[in-house]
Amino acid sequence: MVEDLSMHIADLLENSFRAGAKHVELRLSLLRGTLRLEVNDDGSGMDGDLLRKAADPFFTTKRHGKRIGLGLPLFLQTVEELGGTLEVSTRPGGGTRVRAEIPWHHPDRPPLGDLAETVVPIILTSPGVEFRIVLEGNGERIELDTERLKEELGISCLTPEAMGPLMRMVREAMDRVGLKEGA
Amino acid sequence: MRPEELKEIREKAKARLGLRSGDVRVRIVVGMGTSGIAAGAREVLKALLEEVSRRNLTDVAVTQTGERGLAAKEPVVEVHEGDRITVYGEVDEALARRIVVEHVVNGHPIQDRIIEVREVVG
Repeated sequence: MVEDLSMHIADLLENSFRAGAKHVELRLSLLRGTLRLEVNDDGSGMDGDLLRKAADPFFTTKRHGKRIGLGLPLFLQTVEELGGTLEVSTRPGGGTRVRAEIPWHHPDRPPLGDLAETVVPIILTSPGVEFRIVLEGNGERIELDTERLKEELGISCLTPEAMGPLMRMVREAMDRVGLKEGA
Repeated sequence: MRPEELKEIREKAKARLGLRSGDVRVRIVVGMGTSGIAAGAREVLKALLEEVSRRNLTDVAVTQTGERGLAAKEPVVEVHEGDRITVYGEVDEALARRIVVEHVVNGHPIQDRIIEVREVVG
């Protein structure tokens, strides 16, 4: 059902939006053969009970679908199949951090997919949400911060016309840090 | 990002925002829940943005939302115009572009791909 890691990332970002997040950070780093994927948000967070149940797709879709969704259970399944780890840190009113570590060279690892084509349209269709994308690898650290970008450009919002340049920027950054599209 | 790309983003954003005379006339909403994403909603979202940008539709906004409870019909696209919401199901990239051209620009909804029309009361 979920064919590439970018689809999981889209799902995790959607969870952040549904939690009312106004700031979302996506971090991807490739260090010593391990892909660390992290989504941080300042949304409503979850209490302990909800967090425990968050891995249960039936529970989440029935009672808390609007807040959690199916994304987390599916991502957990993928990470476990690869022998990776998944941590969720959250508290009510205090946002959520989802952090996964995945062995990059595992033969069954799904491809990363087209991160630029996944994330940039989401950025451009999420009014009121600021994004920070941090990519690390090959000794480089590259950051895209929509709030800072808008300040620098003197504009109040990013319009659909920004899609091409932003996608090129993400693709170039991915190449520089060793996270090739479709890898 | 290259300086020319920054300039392009700034100039086009300012042109679009400057042309906006009032409220958004049409809002296109894409369901981006898990089932929507798995069924191809990412490609649909990108195609809609491309068409709106290419045709310089300054009174059209594209946004996304979560699950719509129509998993069997994903990807789902809603066209919001005033009090009317037209819901399209099983939308692919080609249909997304048709929705912009035929429905949003020319005002002719694509009848055989509509799964629901809702009137918003109040």
